[in-house]
Amino acid sequence: MSQPAFWPLTLILFLPAIVAFVLSLPIIPKAREELIRWIALATTAVVFVISLMLAVPALGGFGGSQFAVGDPAMQMVVKMPWIDAFGIEYLLGVDGISMPLVVLTTFLSVLACGASWNISKHVKAYFVLFLLLETGMIGVFISLDFFLFYVFWEVMLLPMYFLIGIWGGPRREYAAIKFFLYTLLGSVLMLLAILMLYFNSDVKLLSDDQLIATQVVSPLLDEAGQAEAIAEIKAADSAVHTFNLMALAAIGQLPDSPFSQVEVFGTRLEVLAFLLLLIGFVIKVPVVPVHTWLPDAHVEAPTPISMILAGVLLKLGGYGIIRICYPICPGGGLELAWLVCGLGVVSMVYGAFAALAQKDFKRMVAYSSVSHMGYVMLGLGVWSAVAGREYAWESWAQGVNGAMFQMLAHGISSAGMFFMVGVLYDRVHHRNLEEFGGIFGRMPVYAGMAVAVFFAGLGLPGLCGFIGEVLVTLSAWNYSYTLAAISAFTVILTAGYILWAIQRVYLGAEYRGPHEEALTPMNSRELAIATPLVFLAIVFGVYPQSLFDYVTPSVNHQVETLAAWTRDVHDADVRDANGESDIEQTAHQAAVDHVADNSGVTTP
Amino acid sequence: MELVETDLGATLSTLLGLAWLIPLASFAAILFFGPKMGPHGRNSAWVATGAIGTSLALSLFAFGTWMVNHPPAVAHHGDHGDVHGEDHGEEHGKEHDDSHANNHSAEATNRVAARLVRFAEEQAAEGGHGDREHGDHEHDGHEHSDEGHGDEGHGDEGQHADSVEHGDTGHGEKIAYSGDWYALYRSPSLVLSIGWYIDSLTVLLFVVVTFIATCIHVYATGYMHDELHDVTDHEVTLAAGGHLHRPGRFPRFFQALSLFCFSMLGIVIAGNLAMVFIFWELVGICSWFLIGFYFERKSASTAANKAFIVNRVGDFGMLIGLMALWGALGTLHFGDTVSVDAEGHQVVEPGLFSLVRPAENGHALQVPDGMVVAAAASRVGNIASVVSPEDARAVIAEQVSGWRAMGMGNWLLVVAGLGIFCGCMGKSAQVPLHVWLPDAMEGPTPVSALVHSATMVAAGVYLTGRFYPVLTPDVLVVIAYIGAITLFIAATIALVCTDIKRVLAYSTVSQLGYMMLALGVGGWVAGLFHLVTHAFFKSLLFMCSGSVIHACHTNDMRRMGGLLKKMPYTGWTMLVGCLAIIGAGVPFVIGFSGYYSKDSILAQALLFRQINPSHAILWYAAAGGAALTAFYMFRLWFMTFIGEPRDQEVAAHVHESPSVMTTPLVVLSVMAVAAGWSLGSLGVVNLLEQARPLGTAAGMTGGGLLTAAVTVPAEAASHAEAIHVTATWTAFATAGLGVLLAAAFYVWRVVNPAVIATTLRPVYVFLENKWYFDEIYNWIFVKPAHGIAMLASANDRGIIDSILHLAAWLSRQLAAIDAWIDRFLVDGLINTLANVTWTMGLRLRHVQTGRLRQYVMFIVVGTVAIFLLASMMLSATVAIP
Repeated sequence: MSQPAFWPLTLILFLPAIVAFVLSLPIIPKAREELIRWIALATTAVVFVISLMLAVPALGGFGGSQFAVGDPAMQMVVKMPWIDAFGIEYLLGVDGISMPLVVLTTFLSVLACGASWNISKHVKAYFVLFLLLETGMIGVFISLDFFLFYVFWEVMLLPMYFLIGIWGGPRREYAAIKFFLYTLLGSVLMLLAILMLYFNSDVKLLSDDQLIATQVVSPLLDEAGQAEAIAEIKAADSAVHTFNLMALAAIGQLPDSPFSQVEVFGTRLEVLAFLLLLIGFVIKVPVVPVHTWLPDAHVEAPTPISMILAGVLLKLGGYGIIRICYPICPGGGLELAWLVCGLGVVSMVYGAFAALAQKDFKRMVAYSSVSHMGYVMLGLGVWSAVAGREYAWESWAQGVNGAMFQMLAHGISSAGMFFMVGVLYDRVHHRNLEEFGGIFGRMPVYAGMAVAVFFAGLGLPGLCGFIGEVLVTLSAWNYSYTLAAISAFTVILTAGYILWAIQRVYLGAEYRGPHEEALTPMNSRELAIATPLVFLAIVFGVYPQSLFDYVTPSVNHQVETLAAWTRDVHDADVRDANGESDIEQTAHQAAVDHVADNSGVTTP
Repeated sequence: MELVETDLGATLSTLLGLAWLIPLASFAAILFFGPKMGPHGRNSAWVATGAIGTSLALSLFAFGTWMVNHPPAVAHHGDHGDVHGEDHGEEHGKEHDDSHANNHSAEATNRVAARLVRFAEEQAAEGGHGDREHGDHEHDGHEHSDEGHGDEGHGDEGQHADSVEHGDTGHGEKIAYSGDWYALYRSPSLVLSIGWYIDSLTVLLFVVVTFIATCIHVYATGYMHDELHDVTDHEVTLAAGGHLHRPGRFPRFFQALSLFCFSMLGIVIAGNLAMVFIFWELVGICSWFLIGFYFERKSASTAANKAFIVNRVGDFGMLIGLMALWGALGTLHFGDTVSVDAEGHQVVEPGLFSLVRPAENGHALQVPDGMVVAAAASRVGNIASVVSPEDARAVIAEQVSGWRAMGMGNWLLVVAGLGIFCGCMGKSAQVPLHVWLPDAMEGPTPVSALVHSATMVAAGVYLTGRFYPVLTPDVLVVIAYIGAITLFIAATIALVCTDIKRVLAYSTVSQLGYMMLALGVGGWVAGLFHLVTHAFFKSLLFMCSGSVIHACHTNDMRRMGGLLKKMPYTGWTMLVGCLAIIGAGVPFVIGFSGYYSKDSILAQALLFRQINPSHAILWYAAAGGAALTAFYMFRLWFMTFIGEPRDQEVAAHVHESPSVMTTPLVVLSVMAVAAGWSLGSLGVVNLLEQARPLGTAAGMTGGGLLTAAVTVPAEAASHAEAIHVTATWTAFATAGLGVLLAAAFYVWRVVNPAVIATTLRPVYVFLENKWYFDEIYNWIFVKPAHGIAMLASANDRGIIDSILHLAAWLSRQLAAIDAWIDRFLVDGLINTLANVTWTMGLRLRHVQTGRLRQYVMFIVVGTVAIFLLASMMLSATVAIP
């Protein structure tokens, strides 16, 4: 059975790790720092180019694999047995949700690698960890096996811990341990949920077609092979557990799914598992009140690590929610939609207020991330496909599309903002907002680009921040008028903290802080990093369809499926209880009477 | 150039689309190459001026095309029939309008019903509709078929649609073309697109905006010449002492101006509310750049931020309006979208206007189905959970009209209207969101003339006018009151200002209030007419003030005086502006542009008062405001140009501005005089009447949510002689009174203003402090916001992190206990165990007999025991699931 996508996906996944391993060997002397930097940059660049070739049809694919834009299904699936005893597989694949995130990751890795040129302490160790981190991030996005996902989730954690803890600022150890413990808490809860889901899953419940569609039985097998594999599964005496995310989702959406039948501590499994997974993921997003690791981590982390942290790591949380929480535990998602949306709105407002109060430039940007990621949560959660809306899925789909766009746009704008802060910090070695001013006069090109990036964060039309915010805010209306109004209110606060920061840093007559002489224009390396970010912020702002072409088919498919689930599975009981099976006429009349009885008429 | 209907929409959209995009090209060119354009970027002015001039030419061409193909009918609205001796409609108007008025004052008292009622349905049925009478002789063959056209020739990606909207408004037909160029986002639920909606209002405003912008570009070439070399900014004192010395920024100014023109034209051409919102924000950011042009000045950057943030408060409301519309209706397009589906059938997707005023309902306002269903969510839920989806849809469709009759969804329509109007309040500086506009005068004066008086701030009025068909009587009353309050408060503040630009700024706020008031009381044409005339005379006034400031190097009127001799062009053109703004004219004969527009506003307000006596205050505000306007405008002119110079130092340097600055003044003063006139069918009023939204010619009755039942009268009724004669004389008398008072204070010096100020000290201080709006906002919004921000930040460190640290500390204590247990209990146990083992070993030595058979037995027993134990435990485990 040949798997065409095996090498391309494996290459972008493990090339950084392999290079990291080679670098860590004593072949290359520690002292040759320049060489190490170039090797790392070349590696990230190669990975980026491969991922881009895979993603963009015009580039013709790589190694015979090519992402089909517009196809909602999981593509380039790689399926190999790994730990047979527990059915754990080396199961990789991308769809419209993960493909753009993979490219974002590889792209930001190149830029962050370029931004790491100033790192002079333990250069070799730094780049080894940096490359390992990239493998971990890509792994999370392309794993389709829950166990594999978890492994990469953890793989990512350790390099990050050391990157902050060794190369960070004065309080780096505090920040690193805080980051580590927070994330570890989330991981533990996630592990609990994984085991609960695993032990209650049973692929025998799935139909033959579903077994093939979810890659439990590889569709690459010939018909006989498929039949044989299916027969083998059906013949098993006991439940056949699985870590396959797609199979888990199919099981979770079944009528009478075991996840909705089994109760743990008096709670339906799907609700409990959703909650545990959600906590694990929202710590990463992060949402209020589990966000306090973020400002500390950002303030202490070196600039490139901040770029990665804000640009990619935060997206892992959102990705986890969209890929795992909702499809696998739809019942939990529907029941806890208020929680997801509520957390999102609280984060938006709270993050914006907190950003307004900050004196540290980087801390302010960090809180702006909390606020912006709140939009992602809100967009994911607006499950408005309910009876009162005739199970219309479009509005919710718009929210999820908006959330996805917001994640990608925030990946560009937040990385840009952190980089812009870093440029100043490299020169004057402080980040006190009260001690800047007049930068526009001294570094006009830099200030112009920085203002553009901050405006993208402000959600200005024509720049990337606008589309996601508008889609999410609009779609929130059909879920809850109140939450929508509060989320709309945030636009005022966002304008407040961003414009105030711009005024204090870039405008004004003169610079008020130390090291005034160091305020030199950006060098070409810095320009080379800033320009693509500004460029993409504009491209995604005026041509957002370039991303939606990827995202929308997969998102719409998932949301449509879940909306159908709401109607046909979740609310089926209600309809049955009310006697749908009656003759049409009666049902008709009943509906009207029912209305008259229950309306509680309130004439305005 | 007669064009076939199909081509006309394409031609107009192409012409205006180009006129809209050329300034963007100019922006991009100056952004990248500005400093290289000639010495110090001098030629960037030509690039920008050339661009906007080309836009003007294209707009004029589009205007001509429109006039040839759709010559507007001669309306007799606002011109009182006297100027052109065209009065045969007057009689009809009078009769029918009287009947309107009577019927409706009676109706208004009778009806307490909360829901909307169509106005004058009976009259329409009798064919005696006042508006219909006007319309009849104007039916000059606009026999447009109701077909839309799939757009063939644009070649862009994305779905194109081009639709033509026709219908009978009573005043000929409403002709509008709409379509999309480009979709930012397209989904089944929402299309965020860049498109056009072109009617005569769009064409007219394109000409107005590009015309004024061209004048101001030329003017700015002279005004901004200081920026061509290094500048010493005397308003900025550095920490080390001395003034700021910086390089000039000539190209940057024109770059921002070009971007502004692009954004502004984007609002005007916008085919849907989402596009309006996009360009709404863009003009906001352009305004931010331009107000903060002298960004080294703290006051300028603060004013820029204030402007943007206050506007965002309005946008917050606008977003809610967008949500309310989109959430229930799923579209934000103004006009209908026509497309051809896969099978070649035409699919017409109704836009907002058709949804709210459907043709089958005679274009009368009704709550659209989508809103009714959205408001009835709980009932829909009941139905949808009983029957299958297909049946549910049928049942719901059956129920909708009943639910509508119960008033469901009405509040959603009100929220939508108020929300959108909230955005307009921000942009058009209506109280309580007016505080940013006076501060915006920190920008260079050409910016004040273009952005903060003539165009951008009028965008709010424009949008209210564009969105007018969706506004319910409840919302209109709110708009009228906001307008009246604004015009009054701003006028009172303008009375005591001494900064020449601030007087004009408050006058702008006040005039915008007039426009809103007009729209609110049903004067759609009146409000937009005033928008157009105001754009001309206010940009003229600002440019004159700029010329004065350019000569005097101060904004303070107390240091001016007697400038007329030294600056004749500026002085006389400014007098023209002042006369235009106060609405000077010979009653019923001829007047400046403001005479026509202000009279039609007053007439409509008076009509509204007669029909709704409880809202009489609106009329008094409008009439009183006219007197205040005349007073503060002539106070300004007298203080600046008449009498003896108050400050010799200033007077010594005064000189007339160069011709590059005075020429635009003369051109604009011609327009300030003539913009209100009509030559045959060529006239602003006629064009506006042609653009009147379907169904708004008739009045409507409603209210109940925010106000008691109210009747918004038909605008045509305000031409009734009884109304407009009173209004005209009132306007004449109040304006005359204001001018006389100003002359008494500042020319004849019969009254000493200083004495009045002392006598009425509390009032004076109150006005001088601008009603304390800034202070109050500071206390109730800004400080609490910073307070909450501090709390949020402190909460993170103080509470959340403290809990974390406590948890960490507890775990460490637990770990310490654990360590102690390890050391003393576990290790102790192990040690004890070791000791025991040792002792046992010593004892077991006796068992070690050396006999093999005994050993084997031990092994067997042990194995069996282990096996048994394991089986028991395993079976227990298996039993658990």
